[in-house]
Amino acid sequence: MTRENLLKWAPVLVLIALVLFFSAINPNFLSLRNFARLSIAASPALMVAVGVTFIIVMGSIDLSMEGAVSALAVIFCYMLVWLGGSVAGLGLLAVPATLLLGLGVGAINGLIHVRLRIPSFMSSLAMGFVGTGAAVLMTGGNIVKIDDEVFRALLTYRMLGFPLMAYVALGFLLLAWVIQSYTRLGRNFYAVGGGEDLAHASGVNVKRVRVLGFALAGFFFAVAGLLQVAKLGQAESVTGSNLMFISITSVVVGGVALWGGIGGVWNALVGVLIVSVINNGMIVIGIPDFIQDGLLGVLVIIAVILSTDRRSVAFVK
Amino acid sequence: MNLERLKPHLPWITLALLVVIVSLIDPNFLNPASMLSLAADIVPLFIMALGITFAIYIGGIDLSAQSMANMVTVVATVLLTSMGAWVAVFCVLLGGLFGAFSGFVTTRFYVPSFISTLAVGGVAFSVAQWLSGQRSVSMNAAERDALFGWMISKTAGVPHELMIAAVLLLVCWFIERRTVVGRNLKAIGAGELAAVASGISVARYKTIAFALSGALAALAGLLFAVKLSGGAPSVANGFLLPAIVAVLVGGTPLTGGVGGVVNTMIGTLIVAVIRASMLYLEINATQQQMFFGLILIAAIALTIDRAKLKIVK
Amino acid sequence: MYEMQKIEKRFPGVHALKAVDFQVKRGEIVGLVGENGAGKSTLMKVIYGAYAPDDGKILKDGRQVRFDSPIAALKAGIGMVFQEQSLILNLSVMENIFLGNEAQFSRAGLIDWRAMADAARQQLKKVKLDIDPARKTSSLSFAQRQLVELAKVLTLEERVEGDLVILLDEPTSVLSREEVELLFGIIRELTKRASFIFVSHRMDEVLSISDRIYVMKDGAVVDVVEKGKASIEDIQHKMVGRAVDKEYYRERRRKPYDHSKVLVELDSVSLPGRVRDISFKLHAGEVLCLVGAEGSGREGIIRAIYGMITPTSGSVKIRDRHLPQVSPRAAAGAGVGYVPRERKVEGIVSGMSVFENMTLSQQSRFSKGGILNLAAERALARDWIGKLSIKASSELADCGNLSGGNQQKVVLSKWRSGGSDIMLLDHPTRGLDIGAKEDVYEMVRDMCDDGVGIVLVADTFEEAIGLAHTIIVVKDGRMRKRFDCGEGTAPTPYELLHHMA
Repeated sequence: MTRENLLKWAPVLVLIALVLFFSAINPNFLSLRNFARLSIAASPALMVAVGVTFIIVMGSIDLSMEGAVSALAVIFCYMLVWLGGSVAGLGLLAVPATLLLGLGVGAINGLIHVRLRIPSFMSSLAMGFVGTGAAVLMTGGNIVKIDDEVFRALLTYRMLGFPLMAYVALGFLLLAWVIQSYTRLGRNFYAVGGGEDLAHASGVNVKRVRVLGFALAGFFFAVAGLLQVAKLGQAESVTGSNLMFISITSVVVGGVALWGGIGGVWNALVGVLIVSVINNGMIVIGIPDFIQDGLLGVLVIIAVILSTDRRSVAFVK
Repeated sequence: MNLERLKPHLPWITLALLVVIVSLIDPNFLNPASMLSLAADIVPLFIMALGITFAIYIGGIDLSAQSMANMVTVVATVLLTSMGAWVAVFCVLLGGLFGAFSGFVTTRFYVPSFISTLAVGGVAFSVAQWLSGQRSVSMNAAERDALFGWMISKTAGVPHELMIAAVLLLVCWFIERRTVVGRNLKAIGAGELAAVASGISVARYKTIAFALSGALAALAGLLFAVKLSGGAPSVANGFLLPAIVAVLVGGTPLTGGVGGVVNTMIGTLIVAVIRASMLYLEINATQQQMFFGLILIAAIALTIDRAKLKIVK
Repeated sequence: MYEMQKIEKRFPGVHALKAVDFQVKRGEIVGLVGENGAGKSTLMKVIYGAYAPDDGKILKDGRQVRFDSPIAALKAGIGMVFQEQSLILNLSVMENIFLGNEAQFSRAGLIDWRAMADAARQQLKKVKLDIDPARKTSSLSFAQRQLVELAKVLTLEERVEGDLVILLDEPTSVLSREEVELLFGIIRELTKRASFIFVSHRMDEVLSISDRIYVMKDGAVVDVVEKGKASIEDIQHKMVGRAVDKEYYRERRRKPYDHSKVLVELDSVSLPGRVRDISFKLHAGEVLCLVGAEGSGREGIIRAIYGMITPTSGSVKIRDRHLPQVSPRAAAGAGVGYVPRERKVEGIVSGMSVFENMTLSQQSRFSKGGILNLAAERALARDWIGKLSIKASSELADCGNLSGGNQQKVVLSKWRSGGSDIMLLDHPTRGLDIGAKEDVYEMVRDMCDDGVGIVLVADTFEEAIGLAHTIIVVKDGRMRKRFDCGEGTAPTPYELLHHMA
């Protein structure tokens, strides 16, 4: 087996091993009920991970997700309330409006990074702080509750045992896959990640691709924000917290190379599942959940080390 | 006078302008007592920023500083009774060790520092949650006062925190300007490849930079724990952003090599003045994040040396 | 069909192109040869649009054109196949072929992969490459990648009006004998579709494929040779041979070196990549010059001595001892000094002062318990600023603001002041003006007088011949020939070129 193949399949093997491990210790892990619970936790994280995957494929990174998700979730709740309080009526408009806003926020992120020529990890981190601050500003530190039965059906309505939001997340995952594999933009992400200057020399408008990439990520952050609201029934300034660590961990553990050009949304799915299975499995087998962050931190480092072709890296800051 | 020549002087000019503006808005601002307490309040943040300065000085970043401080508030509180005053030494060593580990991962395995420190921060957060049982923990008041009470008392109206800050600044300045370590950190930040070609063991000095950052973050956590008389796994959240802002507005660019700890002092004062004026305008801490985020972007954009970044990723 | 008239290009201190006339006819293969630094690469860059000429005219299909970027040149039908390949390895073959031009396969926003694969097969047929267009580029051999790159350039045929000119920069450097033959066969056939400019240092190949050959020297075209009317020797004589003032290289100061004192010994050293079986001894007072084409492995050998590259086999001994570890730190500690080619990137740290740069490699001598003795450092720097007459306002001046020659002096004094007696000089005079070059030559002689051994990679043949006691010709990573440059036994530039190509 070549190194490349091994790296490609290692995340899936890890996932299978984890599932077997937890099931062996506690058979309840393998139950439909538990998997449904797992899917609820995983759906918003998956959307964030998918969004950031595009960026990492380009060789950049987007760390704005926590602020973006919080702010977008809060805005969505306010819009929903303002438009009558239910997605069964006018309130439905709040959904596309939030998604569009997500696109816009992402585009601003991208423009700051590209126009001001600031490394994306720093510009997006700063924008994340702005997002969180904006969420606090809007809510005054309070919680905005949503009690729209129709919207909450994303959580409460079940098909084949899984909540609707799992299917919604899967649907958006498919959309992301289509973008990744069948659109010029999607392919250009790989070209930029594989060799930015070469892509530029071939006539790819790298700056535009970058900005659009960040916009797309913003769109998926908006989806994540909607799912978070559906899951929690409320929005506040901490709605997006912890999503940064989980999503970046997932994407990297799933096999998307931080150097760009390698991996894709399926890797994000596998990564999110690995992280969710670890989180969920630890609870199921009765290990305190605070070990998770530490374990995930170690996992990330291992994943990055394994995926890095050190011969090709001159020096790293 | 062109912008390039003006650049090194921008931080203190900004500070002076801010002070003038704020004191015009709020005449009470210039009251010595309030200024002293304002300065004392920001000392833990300053210590953390001092540490991050070393990481940024070599062109890296330390995103674990906040988690490190969080962890130390818990560690110091939990171990105070059993270790006594040695807990301070232990905490600083612990922070240095965690930082060194970030540096080791970064240099040995070519993991970018923002990822390695983020991951090590995750580990520190876990440790904090584990030790604290995910709750706030408090110090034994008598023990605290006996061992560390001096840290937060006053002499002739001057808070001791300020003296601690001054001593640390002096030590860091000495390291930066007068030692082999400081010289090599500068060389790595200003021209890593030339440093390699001069026979400097770059990996070792980078690791030292992250260790310094970790140790200082731990000190910040310790002081914070003493001030609060306790700790919690997320008590220092909200430190990271202003600390990074302090370093950058002080004039140490993300690309490293110039600036230094004195700049960070100016940067921290800028942050303090902005904070004070925001409190006056009744903008609370979390809302300030929004503003600091924007300042961060502006500060990076102004200071970054784009000649060093062939491709901006 | 393509014509350049009186093209001029200047850089600070260098007149890179002097009134160059250049012409390509339809279906022609034009060779372009010249020594390193003769202006070949500048001319190429003007042709494919990376540089705009300062003066002169470029005509394409009879119309005057001016390119401000390689993309503009592409749109006018001028393509380039780069030496270091420009395919993006994580993409499929067809994606690489149509990179930047995917729009034609877009149906309702989605890429029609089948249509793209069909189109890619059409392009691959032109270069007779029968592979699955969906294959990942990284899985192809170098020869296959070269052909894919050619196929990519040939898409211009459908995309632009007018005739194509394709620039091939050292296309054979990584290919085997058979692969070269295959490539040449394909190129000859492709002359129906395009004209080619073939740049290579392999003279036999240039001669066998070109219809006409432009010979460049010192930024000017010195001759245009028709096919069959010149031998390799003729062309090589035209590429070199200029009257050189003996005094320029301080040749009178070249003294015999001390054969008894061996400083560095390489014993059948092989390196990752192509360098194999390198053996030589460097003695005190000797200038040993490595001569070879770009990419022949000269720099690798120097970097191996300095501990930056670990040999895969063989041994490097410094003063008859193996170093405890392979690292620049260990080498520097053993008295090896390295003057890298990229002066501004690896030589000096810009942003640090002159004195900080000078002591960068020897801080342990200027510190106690990790604390620096600034006064001693500055005194040393002042001393050497005087010794080498470095033009700097003081030892506190930012090294990045000095002129190239003075920066080079700082780099040299960094090592010499620390007592390094094994000096590795990689293109030490690159980019310097004549006065600064002479200063460097003077310093080389001074160092030899002090018993320093020098391994040199020179900028030109003349420099190598003028300075060296010993010349080793390296070709494709192997030692081809050794010359001892005693009185009357020094090789001519022509001889060196002959063994190189």
